[in-house]
Amino acid sequence: MILWHVGIVVVALAAAAPARADSFETRLSPSPLTDGTRINITGEGRALVQWDGNILSVSGDFQGLATNATTAALYDGPGIAIPGPKAFDLTVTQETSGTIWGSLQLTRKQVADLRAGRFYIQINSQKAPDGNLTGWLLPPPPFAGEDVPVAGAGFLPQFEVKK
Amino acid sequence: MKKLLAASVACVALLGASAIALENGPFTAEQSRGGRALYVANCAQCHGPELKGAGEAPPLAGTTFIAAWGNRSTEELYNLVKASMPYGNGNSLEPDTYRRIVAYVLAANGAKPGNIAMVGNEAVRIASIADGKMPVMTEAPAPATAARPATSYPQTRFGLTVAGSLKSYDPVTDTMLAHPKDADWLMYRRNYQGWSHSPLSQVTAANVRGLQLQWSWAMNDGGASQVTPIVHDGIMFLSNTANTVQALDAKTGELIWENRIGPAPTRAYGATRSLALYGDKIFVPTTDAKLYGLDAKTGKIVWQTVIEDAKEGYSNTGGAIAIRGKILVGLTYCNRYETKHCFISAYDANTGKVAWRFKTIALKGEPGGDSWNNLPDEFRQGAETWIAGTYDPELNTTYWGTAQSKPWTRASRESGAGATLYANSTLALDPDNGKLKWFYSHAPGENFDLDEVFERVLVDHDQSKDVLTIGKVGILWKLNRVTGQYEDSAQTVFQNVFDKIDPKTGIPTYRKDVQAAKVGDWISSCPGPAGGHDWPATSYDPKTDLMVIPLHQSCVLMRAEPMEKKIGVGGDAGSQRLFEMPGTDGNLGKLVAYNTRTMQPLWSLQQKAPFLTGVLTTAGGVGFVGDFDRRFRAFETATGKTLWQTRLATSVQGHVVSYAVDGKQYIAVETGLGGGSPVGKPTTLMPDIHHPNNGNAIFVFALPDN
Repeated sequence: MILWHVGIVVVALAAAAPARADSFETRLSPSPLTDGTRINITGEGRALVQWDGNILSVSGDFQGLATNATTAALYDGPGIAIPGPKAFDLTVTQETSGTIWGSLQLTRKQVADLRAGRFYIQINSQKAPDGNLTGWLLPPPPFAGEDVPVAGAGFLPQFEVKK
Repeated sequence: MKKLLAASVACVALLGASAIALENGPFTAEQSRGGRALYVANCAQCHGPELKGAGEAPPLAGTTFIAAWGNRSTEELYNLVKASMPYGNGNSLEPDTYRRIVAYVLAANGAKPGNIAMVGNEAVRIASIADGKMPVMTEAPAPATAARPATSYPQTRFGLTVAGSLKSYDPVTDTMLAHPKDADWLMYRRNYQGWSHSPLSQVTAANVRGLQLQWSWAMNDGGASQVTPIVHDGIMFLSNTANTVQALDAKTGELIWENRIGPAPTRAYGATRSLALYGDKIFVPTTDAKLYGLDAKTGKIVWQTVIEDAKEGYSNTGGAIAIRGKILVGLTYCNRYETKHCFISAYDANTGKVAWRFKTIALKGEPGGDSWNNLPDEFRQGAETWIAGTYDPELNTTYWGTAQSKPWTRASRESGAGATLYANSTLALDPDNGKLKWFYSHAPGENFDLDEVFERVLVDHDQSKDVLTIGKVGILWKLNRVTGQYEDSAQTVFQNVFDKIDPKTGIPTYRKDVQAAKVGDWISSCPGPAGGHDWPATSYDPKTDLMVIPLHQSCVLMRAEPMEKKIGVGGDAGSQRLFEMPGTDGNLGKLVAYNTRTMQPLWSLQQKAPFLTGVLTTAGGVGFVGDFDRRFRAFETATGKTLWQTRLATSVQGHVVSYAVDGKQYIAVETGLGGGSPVGKPTTLMPDIHHPNNGNAIFVFALPDN
């Protein structure tokens, strides 16, 4: 059965829900690349984002960049995996490995976007100024481990993000 | 339309402006001159001697190239060529060879040499040095003597290279195909219903850990190999690259006969995915778009016929299916603007005489012909059939999937919101005459190289006769196979292409930005062109009513490129940037089991490496699948739990089969190389996973005799 209706139900529930704490996490992986840009778009990392109902706290680390990080920011796209405009700058270690962090206040719309999986972190670097590492903020995916079967279809973001 | 015109005007303006004052290129005349022979030797077999491109190899000169590359740097071009070329063998040439080839390509687009030799890290915008106008010196066809296949197929003679004869051969009948012996694997998906399921049950969850290698056989390298071993009465018929067919003793691996039909593979695709058996013959649809009937006992050619002219780029990679005395085949690489169009065709099994053709493109004035935004017929392309169909003998109906229309994006092909029939559809045809009984368009007006061409699986649920299929977007579709009516669907991986699917009709609605996209826009597509689901096929286990589906999880940003509306021009016209699928933690591989009655998932698992074989399920409750990282594993069908695994010589790719000889069950799997997105995407996204770039082979496992 198609589950599109689930999303509608989730939206309806979320609209009536009070402010609540949420946590999101993401793997920071190479930004969109080709074989021609892969040499400059390297590295990986992880980020954890906590929303306590008032403040959004971002923390994470990264390593393996081909060139020094220059900037990092939180972006607000129109949907999961769909790039959008920058929403907030983050602080980033300007080296090939290091940390990112930030503490932000969100508007009501931004909270909704965060819960809809539309926010993502992007770290830029000297030779990848339009994106070196990217990670979409989603609920922690319930992986049992590589090769380990789980019940159901696994994590399907658009059915499982909160709106 | 205005937007498209504006984009075209902008493109022309860009080209025009750059033509006025081009800077010298970051290479020397000596580099570009020397690059010509290197290009011919390493690139021309796919991209053509005049750099016009063919099939999935894009043009490397002209307006299409400049439109795609004008705003990118020579450094990116060099890095791309070095990392990924020759196709499947990136970084296999000397750096200076890559520099010279890139210099030649730039010169072929009008770039003038300078005084400083190219190093490879020059951040020079290509539109500032080249305008896509090929100078006279590079227009002449390259000398044929300098050419050699881009693939690693060795020099060899063709023809019946090993003569031999089977001791006996029981001709394959309609009854056998409809009700195959448990020990046999007579066709691509084993049975007409396309289940890829073996009724053999010696190998079980309790004893599968005892599997041992019985024999192996090195196959031709060179070109993609994703084959299905076909087994009849203890003889394995094996298709190889270069359209080579071998008959092997399926118990011992002893070669009985070999026919190297040829020609040598000249581009990415090297071997048909499947042979077909009927009567006393074996049928070989070839990569140069011919169909051969061989004497199954000796391998000698009985007849041959041309499906379509290979010189125009046409090919067959999808195999064949034998139905009621006819051999049905598809056609691929129909992505150039031509007066011809793609088709499914049928041939008399005894003579090779064509029985019928069904054109998979609806032209003006024909039913469905109004679904192409009024494009002239010659600009309606695609709808290839690169996976063989399935068949319901009771309904006397054969089911085929079609690929997307070409070019890939709505903006490039200028098809508006039209469905572009019969692209990305299920076709139900009468196998006797090729008449269309019904069709169902799964992805009307597709936009991202997301094929719905793959296997059609026939399953009965009580009185309901269903056909199930899953395409690259990862939606598992269920239709009534009598009427073509939509019944249900289920989403198996994250997708952001469709905003919704009508629960009554199944018609999807594309995201608004997809609908509004114009040439030059980068648009997100999850999944990307590797799927979701791709050619590594599903398996249906009738005992549990589970369909086990291998899936891939990556995304792209795709940009529509302008495509000149001119006969002979063509291609896919979509640039791509790859990225990991959100929420997957970098796991490109996913295996999932769906109950086909309820369409509910029972279990799923993920892993870093994508799966590259079709799935096999067996009556022993054990399934098999192989992956990009050389692992071949057995799993419990009911739970997905890994029961046994081994690592093979290179990527495990192809179709797993099971058969029996003298009462003993065997499991056969191919290690294979080459192919499109299912291999290309992980190669780009997972450079830390390594496997040898040779090693096409068959491996056969069984339990010990005791």
